[in-house]
Amino acid sequence: MHGKAVVAGVGESTYYKHGQSPDTEFQLACTAIERACADAGLDLAEVDGLISYMDTRNSPLRIAAALGMKELRWSSTPWAGGGNNSASCVMQADAAVSAGYANYVVSFRALAQGQFYRLGSGSTLAAGAAPEGLSWGLPYGEMTPAQECALHTKRWMHDHGVSQEALAAIALASYANAQRNPRAVRHGQPLTREAYHASRWIVEPFHLFDCCQENDGAAALVVTTPERARDLKQKAVPILASAQGLGPDIGLTAFQKRWFPGMYYENVGRMIWERAGIRPTDVDVLQLYENFTGPVVMALCELGYCKPEEVDAFVADGALEGPDAKLPFNTSGGNLAEAYIHGLEMTIEAVRQARGDSTCQVKDVDYSLAIAGPGYAPGSAILFGGAR
Amino acid sequence: MPRLLGDDFLLPNLGPHNTPYFTAGTIQIQFCKACGHAQHPPDDVCYACRSRDLEFRAMPGTGRVESVVLVHHPVHPALKTKVPYPIAVISVDGAPGCNVLGNVVGCAPEDAKIGDRVRAIFDEVKHPQTGQTLKIPNWQRV
Repeated sequence: MHGKAVVAGVGESTYYKHGQSPDTEFQLACTAIERACADAGLDLAEVDGLISYMDTRNSPLRIAAALGMKELRWSSTPWAGGGNNSASCVMQADAAVSAGYANYVVSFRALAQGQFYRLGSGSTLAAGAAPEGLSWGLPYGEMTPAQECALHTKRWMHDHGVSQEALAAIALASYANAQRNPRAVRHGQPLTREAYHASRWIVEPFHLFDCCQENDGAAALVVTTPERARDLKQKAVPILASAQGLGPDIGLTAFQKRWFPGMYYENVGRMIWERAGIRPTDVDVLQLYENFTGPVVMALCELGYCKPEEVDAFVADGALEGPDAKLPFNTSGGNLAEAYIHGLEMTIEAVRQARGDSTCQVKDVDYSLAIAGPGYAPGSAILFGGAR
Repeated sequence: MPRLLGDDFLLPNLGPHNTPYFTAGTIQIQFCKACGHAQHPPDDVCYACRSRDLEFRAMPGTGRVESVVLVHHPVHPALKTKVPYPIAVISVDGAPGCNVLGNVVGCAPEDAKIGDRVRAIFDEVKHPQTGQTLKIPNWQRV
């Protein structure tokens, strides 16, 4: 167990449907950071570290100037991919604080996909010709993460006899849990199994409801030491363990034979269980990033929750729905039904579960785990301990 | 056989790594001359032995469909009249561990299945910006 750093506060902007934010992306980022510091009871000027991921627009220089930070002493970003870093961006904050390079580090992610492009649209790739590095897929209409993850999922379901109902169970759990969460963009819009199956195909085996939303919004967390957190107002949530990892032979494209089909979470799982000294069954509540439902069921198996041949039974009969579920899962509604802030809203939900203030609160949480985006390497995970 | 998505759809820009694949009229895979390792996509260093001595070799042009999905949602305006279309992951005969992406042509889109044996056929098109002649691989069931 690690426990040298804690999450001292969390914050988010209002979450909007894609294109509906009245604020710019930079304003959303500032709002989330202001609210995270307010939640912690921390003066913004004291923040001395900033971390984001897949973000070239809201630079630490801009944020530090706009929010009046006295001295920025740490800035970093996990390399490669996107949502696979929704845990490792907090792991880096832990590393910075635990090593003493900075005192109060904020990890954040902001998206205004109306102001800029939609991540799932392929639109930035669609103009003109295909650049060399993307030419292996684009000329064949292989342009989006949905298509890449569908190719993995289709083969994996074929190999292990996994049914469409396993995918449906993920979507139904996220939507059911979102009905308890007023922040959720899909609050007030429950999903039935019939509506799931009747929804249009995006790319088989993914229906519309197998795919994450695209949203406008921002999320932020403040990380500091337990000693400093004692002078702040919020319950301090210990970071017990974290992992980021890449197996051998995982390169830039997703279809090398050794890892096909796969989600790259076996090594991340091995590291997080070893470092924490616990097993999957010890986790009280799990947030598992849904880019698409297929990668979620694959990652559940790679993390050691069950074998692929068992996953239909493992997720059936509401096993993931509500605070009293067999495995309480994506309790805020996740990327599918709360909001897609590139998964950082799910890391925040893991902190809320550890603090005891989720809208779908699990009783007596000792271990609250957040798993970042499957299917893109390096994957990452972060485990929080219950804050008493 | 014309390209499934239209002869002018998102043609590859050529560089040192993809010129053989998209111009030779054969399936070209990168091999390490030092250790014989095959890798795709190509890179500047052998991932097995770190050698910089790499070459492209022509493969027999056959393979197997390892996965195939039907795309229904058009993410590009040009694809609105093309959906549903199949994207496949194809393992390349003669190049252990190497999978490529491609469209399966010459059959109904829903007929392409995991396990199908396929053969590469090439569509010759001129790149409108560079004037280079490209030979784009398609895959047909055999």
